[in-house]
Amino acid sequence: MTTRPRPRSVGFTLLALALLIVSLVAFGPRLLQAADTPRHGGVLLAVIGADPPSLDPHQESTFANIDMVAPLYSTLLQIDPYNYPKIIGDLATEWKISPDGLTYTFKIRSSVSFHDGSPLTSADVKASYDKIIFPPAGVRSVRKNAYSAVTHVEAPDASTVVFKLKFPSASLLDNLASPWNVIFPKKYLDRDPNYFKTHAIGSGPFKFKSYTRGSTFEGERFPGYFVKDRPYLDGYKFYISPETSVRAAAIRSGRAYVEFRDLPNAEVEAIKKQLGDKVTVQETPVTGAWGVSINNTVKPFNDVRVRRALSLGIDRYTMARVLAPLTGLRYVGALMRPGSEWGMPEAELEKLPGFGRDIEKNRAEARRLLAEAGYPNGLKVVLKNRNVKLPYQDFAVFLIQEWHKIGVEVEHRPLETAAWFSDGQDTGNFELIVSPAVEFMDEPDQFLGRYATGSTQNWGRFSDPQLDDLFSRQARALDPAERKRLINELEKIVLQKAYYLPGLWWSRNFVQWTKVKNYVAPPNYYTNQKLQDVWLSED
Amino acid sequence: MRTYVAKRLLLILPTLLGVAAVVFVIMRVIPGDVTLLILGGDQTGRIDPQQVAAMRHQLGLDRSIPVQFGAWLWGVARLDFGTSLWTGQPVIDEVMVRLPLSLEVAVLATIVSVLLAIPFGMLAAVRRDSWVDYLIRLVSIGGLAIPSFWVGILVILFLVIYFGWGPPLEFTPPWVDPWANFQQLVWPVLTVGYRYAAVTTRMTRSTVLEVLREDYIRTAWAKGLRERAVVIHHALKNAMLPVIALVGTEFAFLIGGLVVTETVFTLNGVGRFVVDAVAHRDYPVVQALVFLIAFCFVMVNLLIDLTYAWLDPRIRYH
Amino acid sequence: MSVNYPLVRTAEPAPLSPPLTFAREVASFVRAKPLGAVGAFVILAMLVVALLAHTLAPYDPYLADYSAQFARPSAEHWFGTDEFGRDVLSRIMYGARIALFVGFSASFAGCSLGAMLAVLSAYRGGTTDILLERLMDILLAFPQLILALAVASILGAAVHNVVIAVAIPIVPRAARVVRATALSVKQNPYVEAVHALGASHARVVLRHILPNVMAPFIIMLTAQLGTAILAEAALSYLGLGTAEPTPSWGLMLSGSAPAYAEKAPWIGLFPGMAISLAVFGFSLFGDSLRDVLDPKLRGR
Repeated sequence: MTTRPRPRSVGFTLLALALLIVSLVAFGPRLLQAADTPRHGGVLLAVIGADPPSLDPHQESTFANIDMVAPLYSTLLQIDPYNYPKIIGDLATEWKISPDGLTYTFKIRSSVSFHDGSPLTSADVKASYDKIIFPPAGVRSVRKNAYSAVTHVEAPDASTVVFKLKFPSASLLDNLASPWNVIFPKKYLDRDPNYFKTHAIGSGPFKFKSYTRGSTFEGERFPGYFVKDRPYLDGYKFYISPETSVRAAAIRSGRAYVEFRDLPNAEVEAIKKQLGDKVTVQETPVTGAWGVSINNTVKPFNDVRVRRALSLGIDRYTMARVLAPLTGLRYVGALMRPGSEWGMPEAELEKLPGFGRDIEKNRAEARRLLAEAGYPNGLKVVLKNRNVKLPYQDFAVFLIQEWHKIGVEVEHRPLETAAWFSDGQDTGNFELIVSPAVEFMDEPDQFLGRYATGSTQNWGRFSDPQLDDLFSRQARALDPAERKRLINELEKIVLQKAYYLPGLWWSRNFVQWTKVKNYVAPPNYYTNQKLQDVWLSED
Repeated sequence: MRTYVAKRLLLILPTLLGVAAVVFVIMRVIPGDVTLLILGGDQTGRIDPQQVAAMRHQLGLDRSIPVQFGAWLWGVARLDFGTSLWTGQPVIDEVMVRLPLSLEVAVLATIVSVLLAIPFGMLAAVRRDSWVDYLIRLVSIGGLAIPSFWVGILVILFLVIYFGWGPPLEFTPPWVDPWANFQQLVWPVLTVGYRYAAVTTRMTRSTVLEVLREDYIRTAWAKGLRERAVVIHHALKNAMLPVIALVGTEFAFLIGGLVVTETVFTLNGVGRFVVDAVAHRDYPVVQALVFLIAFCFVMVNLLIDLTYAWLDPRIRYH
Repeated sequence: MSVNYPLVRTAEPAPLSPPLTFAREVASFVRAKPLGAVGAFVILAMLVVALLAHTLAPYDPYLADYSAQFARPSAEHWFGTDEFGRDVLSRIMYGARIALFVGFSASFAGCSLGAMLAVLSAYRGGTTDILLERLMDILLAFPQLILALAVASILGAAVHNVVIAVAIPIVPRAARVVRATALSVKQNPYVEAVHALGASHARVVLRHILPNVMAPFIIMLTAQLGTAILAEAALSYLGLGTAEPTPSWGLMLSGSAPAYAEKAPWIGLFPGMAISLAVFGFSLFGDSLRDVLDPKLRGR
């Protein structure tokens, strides 16, 4: 039986519909937001694999330091946690670069206070940067040489900081965004520049609570933080556990919610299988690569044919396929990260020795080169390595297998870390040595400095004036297109002459319980450690 | 007796000095030093030779080895073990953070092992060549044969996979929170205890067997004493000497030797600390820890020898 | 074991049973000590596998088959493959070589050196004794880890260096045991008598002391075999033992085998079982050997 809807009920229906639509439009987004409103409270529990020599980031280079103390401090500039590699201010609200590139002026935000209540002014920024760039005697500053362009730092008034340079530096802004350049209160630095090796007073969202060496590190919420309503967490706690499988087990059992560095694929698979949706895995490429340094000063490696043969003998594309599930080494690239703004396009890369797709042709060429260089029956070499399984050992196992196919027999010598540094960097006592390059961002100065003559990171001890020239030109090239052109040229020379054997670029698995919200894993474990906007959806 | 004790005490000194000297030299011969590690960081550091030289000078590493050794000895004589090269903190403080946990594990594991080993060892000896004996021997050898680092990992994995439970990751002393302390330590204590029970069971079995062959035991049997009286009242006392010796030396080893156990069960103990210190080339810490461990070892041996000498007069006139 | 005492000769008891042939000795050992026989069997099996690895192993242990990473145990790969696609069974077989090599070499070298020093120490007595005792004390109290680290750092991580690192801690332990026996032999009246009759030191040591310390020496040797294999595994776990890609059981068990424990348990399971079985075998055999050789336990 059909009834014709009466006019009054039609009107009501239409009104109801209209009201519904209006309310949805007006309140809908807020309704959705309510489900995602950050919750205040809770302590973030994390596991970490080591603890650092000291708590002063200016003096350390290990993730163990920066991961644990970053939430306690602020920096002048930072990399946008949600938008790598964009640079935004942390303490700086705005900045100007003079047209000649020799003066950088920063405005510091007002009403920032340190954990002890004292206000933060430009004097603190100047004192901290003086410590980084011009460290007093007895104080080490690991990254000092990145600021060789800076002549001095001025603080003309309480809210302005000025950097004066002697030549333009295309990377200065990036370097100033380094997570390691934390700002300390000047009054403690004046008393003792090494004060912060054992104390932590900063202006960050958390303040220092306790530290038991070898065991735990805790920070608690700083109510006077300059960003209103932050941080969301009541605190954070790091547990120190050196064995990777044990850290993975800690995540699985819920004793920890997050591991900030990396967990191997096999562990991640097992965690996902057991916890399903309770766990989120972010796989990110890393600003780091593993390769092999060749000692260019030692026979037969001073012969470019031998070096090139070694590079040709590596099937990097198969290596990526084989090693990715084991170690995270996944991307084939040159000396700057593929996929970043400086990465070499594939088409160009494939033309360089060792990066061509036809591996049989490459191997034949390698054997021919070796014969030409005087080794028709192959070669015996010693490959030194660090005795850490992932990814060092697995990387070496693959290389050994590859070089076997071109008649190069490798004796593998894993060394303890201290001995590895000693042989590689200090004494140069090696033929081939596995050496990685990992930095806190895709920064050409940082990655390419090691190919310049006399650089302390030039483990291969080679010297090529063309490279030195290209490097210093790119360091001053303020136009990104020109800079990239210079960088690619530099890369081509290094790879043609095979001064260094690049391997693969790395990716990491960042594992967290899903209840940890609002954390985007950056492409390395040095940045985005402040935990300012992180919240827990449940305890 | 007193001369024996005095003589033995005197002999400790050269042993300790000898160990200290050998470790001293070895550590400095091994390539690499702490400056490279700190400046190098993970692998991202810039190891600037000037900074290296400055640091080495600051830490006193550029002095000659005999000078360094002399300085260290002088400090030890005043009970000052120096400051850690890695952290700059006094070595004593660093050690004291870790010592209570290692001691607790060592004591508990020894208790567990003794409680298991003595009854089972005796049983195996008394029922020699029976299926009881075979079973006990097989189980004890099992405890020794499985590599220690695997047992720990397997325990953790088992707990996590089947119960979704993991032990706590930080140490709470038993007087603060006994339940948390228990949760963290029960698994490593059982794992280590089982292993040492295996060793001690075998020793107990063999010493009891030896003693049971003695003439005075045969006399006891001939007198018609019951088995329990013979075994417990006569054999056990004499069989215990070597067992006590073994337990003592094992205990001394437990203080600094549980590297793998501590790593796997996330225990911030002395064993792991030694490994880390060696890896960091933290000479003062390594010296102090080796000294401490050697001291424990030597003292325990001394106590055992004194016990033997007290019980067996023949030894004193050696 | 019979000892020749040239002057002091007891009357031989009248033989009550015919002298045992080797086969009969073996048979009686098996009957008397079944566990020991099992141990001996395990050791023999290991020896056979180690010696014939190149014929028995189905694949080259270094050959990485990238199309078969993490393959489950199957007809093609009885024990599966590891993370590089290397056949686990072949690696276990070749690993037996390394395990036995390390076990025997380290144990033999350590025990021999220890025994020699002990006999010297016991026989000479006096200052030599005190000095050597101090040396043994120092070696005993010395942490093996640092020693292994030193050897690995200075000489490199390789199998023969692992042998050195493992052998040195064995020296004082063997010395201790042998010294006690040597002392008791030396104090025996007949040794004094032999001296009085003009026997040289060498003769006394070789013909009287050494034969009597054989028993504890052999016991120590077999006891340390298992320990040596475990020590190599522990050192490889810490990165101070053998180096990749050597197919050593300890190395196969270390590093990422725990990470693969759920995805590919066979990677760690078989080396673990191999090590356990080897140590089991050595221990069982050693125990029974001691029961047989130790005069006090012979029950006569």
